[in-house]
Amino acid sequence: MANVKVNKKRKKWSGLEIFCTVCLTLLALAIALPFWNTIVISFTTNSAYVKHPFSLWPKEFTLDNYRNLFRNGAGLLVAYKNTIFVTLIGTLSAMATMVMAAYVFSREFPGKRFFFLASIFTMYFGGGLIPMYLLIKNMHLLNTHAAIILMSLASVYNIIIMKNGFEGVPMDLQEAAMIDGANDLKIFAQVMLPLQKPLIATFSLFTAVGLWNNWYWPMLILNKSEKTLLQLFLKTIIDSASSMSESLSTSEDLTTMIFTMGIQMASVLLVILPIMTVYPFLQKYFVKGMLVGSVKM
Amino acid sequence: MKENAKVQGSARKKKTILSEIWSARYLYLLLLPFLAWLIVFHYVPMGDIVMAFKDYKARLGIFGSPWVGLKHFERIFVTPDAIESIKNTLSISAGRIIWEFPLPIVLAIMITEMPGTKVKKVYQTIFTFPHFLSWIVVSSIMTSLFSSTGVVNTAIAGFGMEKIQFLGNPKFFRVMLYVTENWKEVGWGAIIYMAAIAGIDPTLYEAASIDGATRLRQIWHITLSCLKPTIAIMFILKIGGIMNAGFDQIFNMRNAVVKASSQILDTYVYDITFLATPNYGFSTAVGLFKAVINFILLTIANQTVGLLTGTKMFSFRREKVKQEKPVKAKAE
Repeated sequence: MANVKVNKKRKKWSGLEIFCTVCLTLLALAIALPFWNTIVISFTTNSAYVKHPFSLWPKEFTLDNYRNLFRNGAGLLVAYKNTIFVTLIGTLSAMATMVMAAYVFSREFPGKRFFFLASIFTMYFGGGLIPMYLLIKNMHLLNTHAAIILMSLASVYNIIIMKNGFEGVPMDLQEAAMIDGANDLKIFAQVMLPLQKPLIATFSLFTAVGLWNNWYWPMLILNKSEKTLLQLFLKTIIDSASSMSESLSTSEDLTTMIFTMGIQMASVLLVILPIMTVYPFLQKYFVKGMLVGSVKM
Repeated sequence: MKENAKVQGSARKKKTILSEIWSARYLYLLLLPFLAWLIVFHYVPMGDIVMAFKDYKARLGIFGSPWVGLKHFERIFVTPDAIESIKNTLSISAGRIIWEFPLPIVLAIMITEMPGTKVKKVYQTIFTFPHFLSWIVVSSIMTSLFSSTGVVNTAIAGFGMEKIQFLGNPKFFRVMLYVTENWKEVGWGAIIYMAAIAGIDPTLYEAASIDGATRLRQIWHITLSCLKPTIAIMFILKIGGIMNAGFDQIFNMRNAVVKASSQILDTYVYDITFLATPNYGFSTAVGLFKAVINFILLTIANQTVGLLTGTKMFSFRREKVKQEKPVKAKAE
């Protein structure tokens, strides 16, 4: 529809342009509508949902799903608190480790090639599930957030990309600082770091999102509810809700029944809310990060 | 490199290796946290791979447990579940290459051809957003859409047709794997190709249109042929990951009905390790088997694509240890 209007304004729209616009509009709708549907369901009552599973606006607006979600105990708040803690501390420590390593790899020093190859090798080959699990267990890190933070302390891939960023800085700058008598620590902290602020910001974003979405190792390591993270909490809600709905499916009274789908969608929304609110504004930084470093593996 | 040497060598021309190390002492200091992490979280567990060749007994420890040679590996090929999971892994990965690999390329071309800068930006924000959600989230959203009481099936029923068990029928589940992965990743995957397209010399298109080439012909002859190196590298990466058929997605989307038909190697290792009495030796052997195959495939794909297109992602020769970035490779 929109393109027809534009079509009149700009006399010439080739068939290809119309085709692309139509296809991409459909794709945009296919991606955006499920999110809208999620929001709508989370504010809908069960009876309204059964009648109209898809509506652009909640037919019977309610906050019950959110109330039920919070009534299940402090689980959600604990998970939120833990996730914010892990994301914050994890991002800070990972960025410190990675930026330092990236800078070092942008310089020449004895053994560089060896250390670099040893790092790259781990990108393609690793011990796998059980050795890692045993390691965490032997370090007595089961049921600790420290395990999660330590495991994501560095990513060789990100280090390589940031190293390329450091290499892009003209060597003259460092030479000048060296002549002034600055040592490598000083050069790193006072000359190189300020120059790489955009790159550091971008990778902080990636690291933070990665930690926020982290669920696999947390699922294996964190079994205590007071240690749970948001993604795990969501998984518990989804799993328990599906078994709950099975046992409740015989119940006829739709109005009194707990609306499991509504609770699920409410928790999905709360989990993605932070990313959803900042993403439109930060999208260009994410894209930039992707392009500095080509592909994410 | 040379400039660096000049800096470090400015004081003295000749240096012994020890003095070189001493002069780089702060660099080692900065590298230390990462090296410690690399050793503890990568090389220490790598040592535990010997478990794959042993009958692991917790009481004896990894090094006290008896050697069993290749017993665990032989067991992989006589265990029906393991064979089944290898087959599923390969067929799902092949499906992904057919149904998922080309789409970001098509999308990137379409976005480039679409007029309207502002609309494009909004669209791109929408397209790339799902990449930043976990599979737990995406699978919840997809279940709400495609379950038997979900939106899609209600619509289908509304048209008077029979409901489809999208997620509860092995045949449809495969398709759903491709559809949902595309939904999540196609926009993000397109970025790399869009950047490559943006780097194409515009005079090529001008010359072609003067010669009377239609836009479609230009896309075919200029855009696609300039994208070749990027496509080659992305393909190598895809081949190198053929033994990972998408654990996060399948683990979160599967259910009892489709479990057998969507059992891939990674989910199989998970199941035998955490849902049954674990045999650490066997589980590790399956993991090692997978990693080795991936590595071999990556190498073969790299060499083959290198021969065919002249673009390699990595080279084993000394001067080219650095990975080439696809974007950069394009520009050259």
